[in-house]
Amino acid sequence: MRIRGRSTGWLLVLLPILAFLASMLIGRYGLRIGETFRALFQIGDVPDVVRALVLRVRLPRTLAAACVGANLAVVGAAFQGLFRNPLVEPRILGVSSGAAFGAALALLMTSHLIVVQASAFAFALLAIGLVLLIATRFGSSTLVLIIGGILVGALFNSLLGLIKYVADPLSTLPSITYWLLGGLSRSQWSSIGPLLVITVAGLTFFLLVRWRLNLLTLSDQEARALGIRVRLLRTAVVLAGAMMAGVSVALGGMIGWIGLVIPHAARALVGPDHALLIPASALLGAAALMFLDLIARAALASEIPLGILTGLIGVPIFLLLFLRLLRARGEAT
Amino acid sequence: MKFAGLAMVLLIAGGFGVTAESVIQLTDQMGNVVEIPQPVERFASVYGIGTYFAYALGVDDRLVKGWYIGVKSLGQASEAMYRLEPRLPDLLSSGDPNIEEMVATGATLIFVDGARHAGFAEQMSDLGVAVIQFMVESPDALLEAMQLAATAFGEGAIERAHVFAADFHRVLARISADIQEASPLEAPRVLFLGTDPLTVSSGDMYQSWMIEAAGGIHVSSELTGYWNEVNLEQILLWDPEIIVIPPYGPVQPASLLGNPDWQAISAIRNGRVHRMPRVIAPMDTPVPESLLGIVWLAELLHPEVVGFNLEEEMERFYAYYYSYELSATEMETLLSQ
Repeated sequence: MRIRGRSTGWLLVLLPILAFLASMLIGRYGLRIGETFRALFQIGDVPDVVRALVLRVRLPRTLAAACVGANLAVVGAAFQGLFRNPLVEPRILGVSSGAAFGAALALLMTSHLIVVQASAFAFALLAIGLVLLIATRFGSSTLVLIIGGILVGALFNSLLGLIKYVADPLSTLPSITYWLLGGLSRSQWSSIGPLLVITVAGLTFFLLVRWRLNLLTLSDQEARALGIRVRLLRTAVVLAGAMMAGVSVALGGMIGWIGLVIPHAARALVGPDHALLIPASALLGAAALMFLDLIARAALASEIPLGILTGLIGVPIFLLLFLRLLRARGEAT
Repeated sequence: MKFAGLAMVLLIAGGFGVTAESVIQLTDQMGNVVEIPQPVERFASVYGIGTYFAYALGVDDRLVKGWYIGVKSLGQASEAMYRLEPRLPDLLSSGDPNIEEMVATGATLIFVDGARHAGFAEQMSDLGVAVIQFMVESPDALLEAMQLAATAFGEGAIERAHVFAADFHRVLARISADIQEASPLEAPRVLFLGTDPLTVSSGDMYQSWMIEAAGGIHVSSELTGYWNEVNLEQILLWDPEIIVIPPYGPVQPASLLGNPDWQAISAIRNGRVHRMPRVIAPMDTPVPESLLGIVWLAELLHPEVVGFNLEEEMERFYAYYYSYELSATEMETLLSQ
């Protein structure tokens, strides 16, 4: 049964707030609630180590988790509508593979985080550029976009394999491996600027076009008949989605399942209307990744790769949602 | 058994003494019984750490192909590497070994990393090539590995392995005696970083043992496996008094000392961030030079009580084990902390 109405709204607003508070209050280093808030709102004197932990370690990382979670979930929801396929996630257009290759290539030469991020983002854009080029040459139907995405993804995966093969097993290969497993341990104020800017811009774009996304789920002819410039809107959605996914992968590595599972969970709460689905996905995605990142950084002395956690938790949730869908259709007992 | 000791060394000779048909039998560190036809005139080392055993044992002239830890291409090779091994352009290999190429070298013995190339070792054994598989992540395993490698080459190498073991025990005994003068409370908390500021060594790694042998407390010893990814909050919790950076990878002390996010850590506040020096092989790995790595660490951790003549130790080590004369610049690098 779907939770509808005011309670759904409260749930969607409260979850990210709770996740944010938990993320600020809990960590490997035991901080008292009072001193955490005093450091957060810069009230009174707090020890330097507490201020550094709250403002320079936990806050940028929590914001990064919220942004990456919201980005991946919104892009997943938008792409599922755009491609009329509930199994689509942000990786479908080869953006993640491009970003992964870009990051690995940069890691081969430097460990400077900004360079790694910039390279990852540049190759994410290159990947989507190639997909759009294929679409331009062969017609920009959703099928061509998907095939283009698969081809470009495969190309960059092969190049990534080549980078891993030539990487020094003592120094570079572990860095590439950790990066590919996904994680937000490198989220600092100096590194999350591009993520914050693109997240705000991207979410604003999707909130503005969320009504029209419903029309993209119709056939092209029907959408055109309703006055939608299908090709322009589709290209804008693909580009905005690619930038949001690209900047997220550039900072957090390969974090799977959020872009697939969260839109389905949001759909179970608010229904398929993109006007509600987009903001619901953003809020749920942000909350989910803040909670998961809290586990990743606080459960053990070493970081648990986020890609592993999202998979371990995402798979059973997806299975439950899928069974629920089948039951609703009368295809499962 | 992970480290199957040197269970036995038998000489299965065709006659009296070692003849052309004689075979040495030993048990390698993966527990495999290996028969090595004597004498070994051509051998290869696919094990980047084990290649340096050949130099320390004085049998490097028989090396026909080698993997060198930290050197994947000639472009990465330092001037010192070329001085140590003028044949480097012909010898150096990297990546996964090619079976046919290895057979073509005519090597009758191959050193292999047991954790990484067990399948390759099996294939080479099937082709009739003797393969010693090593597994070295502790000092005992290093001494055992040196002894195993030496056994394959006979008397001269065995004698050098004994000298190395004696040197190793001498250094450890000296440090142990010296730091007994320091109270246990004075053992500094040490963090050993990897190739990234947030990658640290685990308690299972050779670096962990080195820190403890040098009289320090390895703060991340609770971690297991290989290099571990941690976060800054965990490092703040450990609050190391000294941070050591390995002699490879891009991390430099200045980048940590100048990072505002790290300023609450004791080691940063006190300027105690040090990068290990390097001349030939990285001293934090279980190569023969790790002996000097322990000396360097002990001097770093307990400069007041540990009293090696560093210059003499370094000079003697490189001259005896690598037949290598240190330049003034190299000596300065080794002595700098």
